[in-house]
Amino acid sequence: MAEFRLPANSRIDTRAGKHYPAPAGAKQVRVFRVYRFDPAAGGRPRVDSYALDMEQCGPMVLDALLKIKNEVDATLSLRRSCREGICGSCAMNINGVNTLACTRSCAELGSGDIRIYPLPHQPVLKDLVTDLSDFYAQYAAVKPWLKTRTPPPPDRERLQAKDDQLKIDRPSACILCACCSTSCPSYWWNSERYLGPAALLAAYRWIIDSRDEATGERLDMVEDAFRLYRCHTIMNCAEACPKDLNPARAIGHIKQMLAERQH
Amino acid sequence: MSLRTPLGRVLNHGAARSGVVSHWIVERVTGLALAPLSIWLLVQLLALPASDYASVTTWIAAGWNPVWLTLTVLLAAWHSWQGVQVVVEDYVHGFAAKTLLLLLSAFAHALVAASGVYAILHVAFRSTT
Repeated sequence: MAEFRLPANSRIDTRAGKHYPAPAGAKQVRVFRVYRFDPAAGGRPRVDSYALDMEQCGPMVLDALLKIKNEVDATLSLRRSCREGICGSCAMNINGVNTLACTRSCAELGSGDIRIYPLPHQPVLKDLVTDLSDFYAQYAAVKPWLKTRTPPPPDRERLQAKDDQLKIDRPSACILCACCSTSCPSYWWNSERYLGPAALLAAYRWIIDSRDEATGERLDMVEDAFRLYRCHTIMNCAEACPKDLNPARAIGHIKQMLAERQH
Repeated sequence: MSLRTPLGRVLNHGAARSGVVSHWIVERVTGLALAPLSIWLLVQLLALPASDYASVTTWIAAGWNPVWLTLTVLLAAWHSWQGVQVVVEDYVHGFAAKTLLLLLSAFAHALVAASGVYAILHVAFRSTT
């Protein structure tokens, strides 16, 4: 049954949060309220608030988080790598929206406090770091590689028409940050059986690849009430995607292909 | 705690395949058919001269009305049955609870459909004889 109340150790302990005041003489103060949880330490999660002087901080949310980690509180854990929106590591929930901390500027978040939580409905390893093992397994499950029976031409690569390349151009731009899947209620309630928008976008990318010869097998693999049809087209995935991709449309195309091969 | 790999868990028993595409098509086809039928029903009910027993039963029995009404009842029950199934699958995860609810929903929808059709035919045939 869907759980409407969080388990006890997932509920925020509102009295336990620590406050880190802004440095003396700070002119442009902004408060970052950050989710903190350490399973090893026990206890319930808390929300710490860090007041930063924005004149001394870079423009992006990731800049602020790294300033906190480097100068205020080294115990804060988060994933990050490229800081330019291509690695997908710093995906988190910022002011209620899943996005990349490195490409979301503090200025575009209005003027209030900035609330930073881990990606929703995933097991939290520590603070903003979630366990994405299932998410990666779902990606692996769709076999995201070229499958052919015809051997490649001996003298060159497999050719593809420009129009056909265009079809996979956008879906290929997915960085697997998990913003879409973890914003999807269907994925929250059935993450063990529903593949989720990211894995289905990857499946679609190979289903429509003109060079691939396993299209039928790939369609067979998603022809399931849970793997594919848990998508009810509410479009949270397209809304959340920091790369402006549209997994919902890809899922719609897959359903259309499955219907077309019936008749 | 299970030591099964995440990939093993995700692949689990494989894709069910049977019936899922037709379920998706039935949802849409019944929805498509219900769109004009529900508009017809609404317009007709609003246009009734009076809402007393005699004028409603006269309207039910008139012309093709029993045919459209029977279709509306059957298709609405079918559409709702398919929809409720999806809602149950979304939110109810235990095998026993899920099976029980799906059975209850199937029987309840069958009952609604049968009673609806019986009532329409009862009224229609009574007034023609």
